[in-house]
Amino acid sequence: MIPRVTSQTQMRSAQANLQASAQRLAQLQEQSTSLKTISRASDDPARAANALAVRAEQRATAQYTRNADNGNGWLTTLDTALGASTTILNRVRDLTVQGANAGTMSPAAREAIAVQIDGLRQDLLTQANASYLGRTVFAGNSDAGVAFTADGIHSGGSTAGVERRVGADSTVRVDADGAGIFGSGADSVFALLTTVSDALRNSPATVSTHLAAVDTALNKVIAANSDVGARQARIESATAALVSQKGSLEAQRVQLEDADLATVILDLKLQEVAYQSALAVTARVIQPTLMDFLS
Amino acid sequence: MSTFGGLNTAYSGLVAARAGLDVVGQNIANVNTEGYTRQRVTTSSTNAAARAGLVAWGATPGAGVSVDGISRLGSATLDAKVRATAATAGYTAVRANALGSIENSLKEPGVNGLSHQLQEFWAAWQELGNGTDAAAAAGLLLGEAGQLTAQIGSGYRAVTDEWAAVRSSADALVTEVNGAAAQVAELNGIIRQTLASGGSANEAIDKRDALTATIAAITGASVRPQANGTVDVLIGGNTLVSGTDVQTLKVTGPTTMPTGPAAADPTNAVRVVWTHRPETVGIDGGELAGALSLLGPADADGTGGALAEAAASYNDFATQLADSVNSIHLGGVTSAGIPGGKFFDYVAGTAAATLSVSPTNATEIAAGAIGAGATNGTNADKIAQLGAGRAVDASGNPVVSPNVVWSAFVTKLGVATGIELAQASSANLSASAAVTLQLSNSSVDIDEENVNLLTFQHAYQGAARVMTAVDEMLDTLINRTGLVGR
Repeated sequence: MIPRVTSQTQMRSAQANLQASAQRLAQLQEQSTSLKTISRASDDPARAANALAVRAEQRATAQYTRNADNGNGWLTTLDTALGASTTILNRVRDLTVQGANAGTMSPAAREAIAVQIDGLRQDLLTQANASYLGRTVFAGNSDAGVAFTADGIHSGGSTAGVERRVGADSTVRVDADGAGIFGSGADSVFALLTTVSDALRNSPATVSTHLAAVDTALNKVIAANSDVGARQARIESATAALVSQKGSLEAQRVQLEDADLATVILDLKLQEVAYQSALAVTARVIQPTLMDFLS
Repeated sequence: MSTFGGLNTAYSGLVAARAGLDVVGQNIANVNTEGYTRQRVTTSSTNAAARAGLVAWGATPGAGVSVDGISRLGSATLDAKVRATAATAGYTAVRANALGSIENSLKEPGVNGLSHQLQEFWAAWQELGNGTDAAAAAGLLLGEAGQLTAQIGSGYRAVTDEWAAVRSSADALVTEVNGAAAQVAELNGIIRQTLASGGSANEAIDKRDALTATIAAITGASVRPQANGTVDVLIGGNTLVSGTDVQTLKVTGPTTMPTGPAAADPTNAVRVVWTHRPETVGIDGGELAGALSLLGPADADGTGGALAEAAASYNDFATQLADSVNSIHLGGVTSAGIPGGKFFDYVAGTAAATLSVSPTNATEIAAGAIGAGATNGTNADKIAQLGAGRAVDASGNPVVSPNVVWSAFVTKLGVATGIELAQASSANLSASAAVTLQLSNSSVDIDEENVNLLTFQHAYQGAARVMTAVDEMLDTLINRTGLVGR
C-alpha cells in the first residue's frame, strides 16, 4: 500500500534517503582512505579476535628474530674462538712433537719452543675469554667478567646454559661449557700447556708423554666446535623459518584487516553515482505543486 | 417556511464556506509546523423546521447547513505506534551509543590498542632475558610495563567516565519527563475546559501529543485517553499524569560508578523513584530504561549492566595479568641472587585502576632462575612465555595467557556492541517508518488544500448567487406587486 503522500512526507523520505546514501558514502570513504575493513571490534568480532592473535604472533616473531640474531652473534663468536683454539692447539701439538725429539735439540732450541708454547697458552686463554656484547661466551650465566682466570680456573660456576628463544616452543643453547672444553685449574688445557713447557725446559725426556693429553684437548675443542656449528645451523634455519613466518603472518593480517582497494574504489564510485542521482531526482521531485498550475 | 427562509439558508452556506476557507488557511499556514495535524470543517445539513399547528404546509426543504465543528484528522492507532517504536528506538540508541563509545576507547585492533602494548611488554621480557645490557633492557621493560599499566588505567577510566556520563544523562532525562508531564497536565486542563464549552482544542491536542510522544520515547509510557478529552499517562502501570494531576520522578543512587564491595551493595543501585513515595518506578522502555540497564551492577554470569561488566572485565584482566606475572616473578632471583618480589601491585577489587609496577630499577627484577648465575634470563623467558600461551605454573599446569583474557573481552564487547548497533538501526527504521505513516495521515498536503480552497470558494460563490436570487425575488414581490396596469 502506498500511504497518502504529502509534501512533508516527500520531503522527509527524500531527506532520509539522501542521509542514508551520504552515510554509506562516508563509510566507503573511510574504508578507502584507511584501507581497513575492521576499524573496531564490532565490525566483525571474529575477525577482530583473529587479528589480535595474528598481531600478537607478529610481535612475538619479531622478538624471536631479535633473539635469534643475538644467539647467532654468540655462536659466531664461539665458532671463531673455537676455530682459533683448534689452530693454536694444532700448533702446540706440532711444537710438542718437535720438542719430543729431545736428543737432537739444544737446550736453547727447547727453550725457544717452550717460550712459543707459553705464548700460545696466552693466546688460547684470550680465545677462551672471548666475549660477545660484554658477555664471555664460555662463562655461561656468570658475571665474573672473564671465563678463565690467568691460572686457567673457570669462573662459570653453573652448568645452566645460556638459551635463546627462537620460537614459542623452541630454544637454542648459544654458549659453550668452558670448563667442559678447556677444563679448569689443574685439569685444564692451560695447566697442560704449562706442564709441557716446563717439561721442555726441565725434563725433555717426558715431553712425549704429554702428547696424548694434547691430542685429547685438541679433540675436545674440535668436538665442541662441531657442536657449535650444528647449533648455529639450527639457529640459522630457525631464522629462515621466522622470516617466512613473518611474511605469512603479514599476509594473514592483511587478509583479516585490510580492505581490497579495487573493491572499495569500485563501491565508492558506485555509491557516488547513487548519491548524485539521488540528489538530482530529489531536486526534480519536490518542486511542483498544484499552485504552479492555478491562475 | 417563511418567505425570508431562503435568505437564511443561503447565509448558512456562506458561513460554512467561509469556515471551510478559514480552516484551509490554518492548514496552509501550518504546512511545515512540526506536530501539526491537518483539520477539516465538519458540516451537516439542517433539518426542515418541524411542523407546528394545524395548517398543512406541504413539503418543506431543509434550513441550510450548520458548521458542527473542526475535526482533527489524527489517528490514535498511528500515534500509539509512534510512541511504542520511539520507546524501543530510544532504549537501543542509548545502549548502542554507550557501548560504541567504550568500544572506541579500546582502539582494537590496531597499534594503539592495549593488545599491542601487551605484546611490547612480553617482548621486553625476552629482551631482558637476552641479557645483553641488563640495565638498558630493564629500563625498557619497566617503561613498557609502566605504559601497560597506564593504558589499563585509562581504559578503565573511559568506562567509569562513560558510566558517569550515562548517569547524568539519566538525571537530565528525568527532568525532561517531569517538565513534559507538567505541561501535559496543564494542557489536559485547557482541553477539557475548551471542549466542555464547545470550542476547538485541536492545536492544544497537537501540542499534548508531541509531549506524550517525548515522554514515551524517554520512559516507554503508555497513554490512555479519557472521555472528557484529557489523557492519562502511565509508566509501568502507575499514573504519571491523570487529568490535571501530575506526579514527578527522581533518580536516586550514586553519581559515580561504585567500585569494589560497594558495587555489590543493592542500596547502591541507580533507580528511578516517585518523588511522593519511595517506590521504584517500573520503567518499561525508552532512553531512561536504556540508561538504567547500562548503569546496573555486574553479576556473576556477566549479564549485568554493560558498563559495570566492562569495568569488571578490566579488573579481571588486570588481576590475571598481575597474578600470572607475579607468580613466575616470585619464583626467580635477581642478578644479586635475591628472590624476586611482586612485579605488579594492585588493590583487590579495583585492580585496573590501582595496578602499578613494583620494581623501580634493574636490581629488583628477578630475571634469573635460582642458582643459575647472575646473568641468567630463564625466569624472564618464562614470563615472556605467558604471551605465547606456553607458560606453566609451579606444578606444571598451563597458565591462561593474559592475551587470551584480553582478546576474549574485546570479542565479547565487540559482539555485544554489534548486536546493539544492529538493534538500534532496526529500531530506528521502524520508528522512522511509524513517524512516516503518522505524517502521511496527519500532515498537510498543499495540493489537497488548494483543491479544498477552490471547493469552498465555489461554495461561497454559489451561496452568494442564491442570496442574490432570493433578493431579486423579494424585490419583485415587494416593489412590483400591485402595480399591474399602471
